[in-house]
Amino acid sequence: MPIPERNNEGFLEDAWQWNEAIASKIASESNIDLDEKHWEIIWLLRDFYKEHEISPPSNRLFVKAVREILGEEKGNSIYLMQLFPGTPAKTACRIAGLPRPTNCL
Amino acid sequence: MTSSAVNGKTLPTLHLLNKPPSHPRFRDCLGAVANEDSLLLMESAVIALADATLALPANTRALRHDCLARGLDEDTQEDVELIDIRGMVELTDRFPRVVSW
Amino acid sequence: MSDATTKTLLIVIDSPPYGDWRGREALDMAFSLAAFDQPVALLFRGEGVNWLRPGQDGASINQKTVSRNLGAARMFGVSELFADTASLARFGVERPQPEVEPVVADAAFYTRFQEVIQP
Repeated sequence: MPIPERNNEGFLEDAWQWNEAIASKIASESNIDLDEKHWEIIWLLRDFYKEHEISPPSNRLFVKAVREILGEEKGNSIYLMQLFPGTPAKTACRIAGLPRPTNCL
Repeated sequence: MTSSAVNGKTLPTLHLLNKPPSHPRFRDCLGAVANEDSLLLMESAVIALADATLALPANTRALRHDCLARGLDEDTQEDVELIDIRGMVELTDRFPRVVSW
Repeated sequence: MSDATTKTLLIVIDSPPYGDWRGREALDMAFSLAAFDQPVALLFRGEGVNWLRPGQDGASINQKTVSRNLGAARMFGVSELFADTASLARFGVERPQPEVEPVVADAAFYTRFQEVIQP
């Protein structure tokens, strides 16, 4: 399956062109095999975007949002870094088909 | 800026206004709208439809997509007609004179 | 009276949504401060209360819906959202969305905050 149009950093141009197969394909580019822990965060981001029409603007706010919704155990940067290496907000938003977090370098 | 006069007669004027009520030009514009003129509210100017402190001229219209973006619709002010881009084009054709504020 | 002021920074949004980037930048500033756990609150007054009107559809002008963006404020740690009651009445915003605390935004209200920014 072809991946819809993306920008030069690999983020989908249109968040509504996303599906689970596309997520797996984007994740594989970063050598990430998606399991249910990843999917929990991915669907959290999808719901967040549907409600608020933005990506969490920074990594800190991504962690905060996860903490608000899933609690301390998952809403911490170590847990999220293990799932989504690099800058977790960027990696996770890219896989979830969301726009690039505006304040992440 | 007031209606221009040709041979002593004023030309009916369409006023295009995209500034919010707080902008000085908003008041200037309202002051310049003569009886035979029309006013078209667009962009931030459409919040004037909801502003209880304002009395808008009789021939006021507003761009529909700018209203919908801001949560305004036909019910906000019943005597103001909402028009789309095609309606705006027709309107500009009808007036011999157009002023953008 | 100084013990009555809080360390919370108040950011005032008094420009209407969608027209320019002023309010958008104010919101970004609030989110950034909240990200670093700085106590920050937002006040909507004047034409700024139009941010809170229900039923907005930014997609009609190819923009994001600001009231939905604003809905993330509490989750990000923005401690309070206030709106001036007289301004809400002036623009007919009866049920603000997201929910806000209606206040009389007079001089006494501002003195509750150690720092006030009006971008």
